Amino acid sequence: MVFILIVAGMVVCAIMAIRASRLLISAIWLAATSALVALLMYMLGAPEVAVIELSVGAGLVTVLFVFAINISGEETPNLKSLLPRPLTWISIIAFLTLLGYFCLPAFLRSLPEAQASSLQTVLWEDRSLDVVLQALLIFAGVLGVIGLLSEGNHHPAKEHDV
Amino acid sequence: MTPTLILSIIALPWAGAILVWWTGDARPRLQNALAILFSLSAGIAALLLIPSARSETALTLPVGGVFGDFTFVADGLGVFLAAIATVIGSLAVIFSVDYMHGEAQLGRYFALVLFFIGAMAGLVLTTNLLLMFVFWEITALCSYALISFNSDDPKAVYGGIKALVMTQLGGIGLLAGALLIYSALGSYDLNLFIEKAETLPTSVLTVAAFGFLIAAAAKSAQFPFQTWLPDAMEAPTPISALIHAATMVNAGVYLLARFYPAFESVPGWKTAVVAIGVITALLAGVMALVSNDLKRVLAYSTVSQLGYMVYAIGAGGIFASQFHLLSHSVFKALLFLAAGAVIHSIGTRDMRQMGDLGKHMPLTRAVFVVGALALAGVPILNGFWSKELILEAGLAHGPIWAYAIMVFSAGLTALYTFRCVWMVFYGPAQSKHHGHDAGTAMKVALIPLAIGAVTTWLLAGPFSHLLESSLPFHDIEASTTLLFILEVITAPATLLALAVVALGLVAWWQRKRLSGLAHALQVIGKAAADSFGFEAINRAIVNAVQGGAESLRATHTGLLNWNIFGILAGLIVVLVVLAAGG
Amino acid sequence: MNLSIPGIIIVAAVALLGIGFYGLLAVRNLIKVIVALQILVKGMMLGFVLAGRLAGNVTLGQSLAIIVIVVDTIVAVVGLALAVQIRQRIGSLDIKTLTSLQR
Repeated sequence: MVFILIVAGMVVCAIMAIRASRLLISAIWLAATSALVALLMYMLGAPEVAVIELSVGAGLVTVLFVFAINISGEETPNLKSLLPRPLTWISIIAFLTLLGYFCLPAFLRSLPEAQASSLQTVLWEDRSLDVVLQALLIFAGVLGVIGLLSEGNHHPAKEHDV
Repeated sequence: MTPTLILSIIALPWAGAILVWWTGDARPRLQNALAILFSLSAGIAALLLIPSARSETALTLPVGGVFGDFTFVADGLGVFLAAIATVIGSLAVIFSVDYMHGEAQLGRYFALVLFFIGAMAGLVLTTNLLLMFVFWEITALCSYALISFNSDDPKAVYGGIKALVMTQLGGIGLLAGALLIYSALGSYDLNLFIEKAETLPTSVLTVAAFGFLIAAAAKSAQFPFQTWLPDAMEAPTPISALIHAATMVNAGVYLLARFYPAFESVPGWKTAVVAIGVITALLAGVMALVSNDLKRVLAYSTVSQLGYMVYAIGAGGIFASQFHLLSHSVFKALLFLAAGAVIHSIGTRDMRQMGDLGKHMPLTRAVFVVGALALAGVPILNGFWSKELILEAGLAHGPIWAYAIMVFSAGLTALYTFRCVWMVFYGPAQSKHHGHDAGTAMKVALIPLAIGAVTTWLLAGPFSHLLESSLPFHDIEASTTLLFILEVITAPATLLALAVVALGLVAWWQRKRLSGLAHALQVIGKAAADSFGFEAINRAIVNAVQGGAESLRATHTGLLNWNIFGILAGLIVVLVVLAAGG
Repeated sequence: MNLSIPGIIIVAAVALLGIGFYGLLAVRNLIKVIVALQILVKGMMLGFVLAGRLAGNVTLGQSLAIIVIVVDTIVAVVGLALAVQIRQRIGSLDIKTLTSLQR
């Protein structure tokens, strides 16, 4: 029952995040979604990733959103989609139906007991390439942001090279 | 110690690349210093690694269960090629300091050069096929970016795109081969593959063998992909030296040499390798004879000499081919850098506008002549010994028709080399260009290479020991330098080859009397100037790729909603296929 | 109602995916696009953790989810930086104005 409540709340939050007409409100609904996802993860027996999701997804990213929205300013966001509305709904419904078909077996299963195994071993030893690539990615992300936000010395001519 | 050295050979240039880029173009002197520092220290690390060459895996980076461990081996082949890449590469960097002086965007230039050098070192040191493919593609990317470094010159951009498309074609061959091997063997370790090659199904082995051959031919500009390399001449000259001598084209020869023990028994493979080498050497030699662009002549000569190496591998002469690779790297880097000094001082590449330049640039002339004589295969210089070893290996194990053509090509090599030297440095002065001699940094790069061109053949003995002791599958016989010298001198084939080289010289000497013959051969000359029609084929491939991309532009609306719709439609198709399939 | 817990979670994950995709299809403000992307990826993460739990290896699911979080955060950061720059140079966040490469 608790699960149903959380999931319902989460879906409402997500829908509100898309529908909200002000960007700032939208970001706050996103943070709420993120917090509820973290809670679900915790209840599924994944406390480590729940903590990360809560701090990064609900915390850091929200701060960044607020920051970015503050800099760039509000704008009436609810313009009409470039895609015809029926096409949007048809493709979404087709996608959800197909995906739901694949998910049917999950309804017949009950949740198995969580096994104790160390996250460190899996993350650092079995998937160490991923960790290395993550480090690279973070590095690239930092470089990208530095490049984007270095405002003082941008030459209009150089933009064509990039 | 060995793991540290291996890591530093790859990581130092890459770290340098980031630092140089970070420094920014406002401080060119610091950029120069950093580039030289990092490339030189990588070169020193590579040289230090040579004594500890072993066939066992030296460094294992565990990356989890999915890709297999990333393993590195410091065996003779890898260490030697890494040393060439880093040492010649650092000399090219030093040369660039003078050559690129005052150019814009030095940071991009040096960062790409260093990235290139590190990737090549990684390519030859790793034994994980997947990682090898990654490094392979990085070198392709760097070569593309450096060839079209002058991005406002459409010819340079075209040359870069051509190089990229052609080497990508080869990359597909490499990837297909590697994935097939993985599916059959369950491991990306290439030493394991070479060891167990005979137990694999013949079909897998055949596809992998020819896939790798295509990859090598595309990378080393062998027939029928030979035309991208001359078009790559739009690059700054140190880049040409880098691509021709240190980093790029050696990779193909390396690939063939590395996997020779595995593919030896595949029917038709050795013949195909020999045929590719022979055709390339001959065609490129003829094309070099009719070209009037100094850098193009050198480019065709590279293609031709690479043909020699490929031919040697096909004939089973792994040692001969790698030894020629060493000689070639030294004298070709020397020739290119010297040509760069000439071009830098007079500002044209057209040999018809040169002539009598020796008076103004005696040092450049001296080193260029040394390199040219080595290329022509004149005794004592390193090119002579290694080319003789290749011809001997070809005579002993290869088909006789191939040998005959290769000896003829040796004469051709001598002929076009003498023509080139004459037109640039000795012939009548064609214009009022007054060149100045090479700058200090240029001299620093040229003189060691000139010394190397005279002396590296003395390393034949140690080099054969290096390869023999660390390559368990290649059946290389070690010997001493003295024995190699005796072997070469006493072989009757040497005299034949020398006679042909002399004939080439005489043919140039008596070119006026031979003018009747030259007229008769004009048809061939015309065809050669058009690269025998292969230029058209290669251009068609490149244009087809570009045209296809152009016409696909219509689907790129740039409207995000539609792009997402495309992604979602693709996902739905995948789901439908999955649902229908089971 | 007699839904099993995996059933409920899978509904949540699929719903998040659907909402995210809807957002990407319908929204034209660049910052909103990033919000939709975040929702989409959260659905994915939930799916990873659930699959890990069902397969009896919840730590593998967790480590994959961590990777997804990292990637997603970087996408958000770079995307927001881009949005700020675009707003300052072009003056609009409407994705329809960002089609200068079109012809």
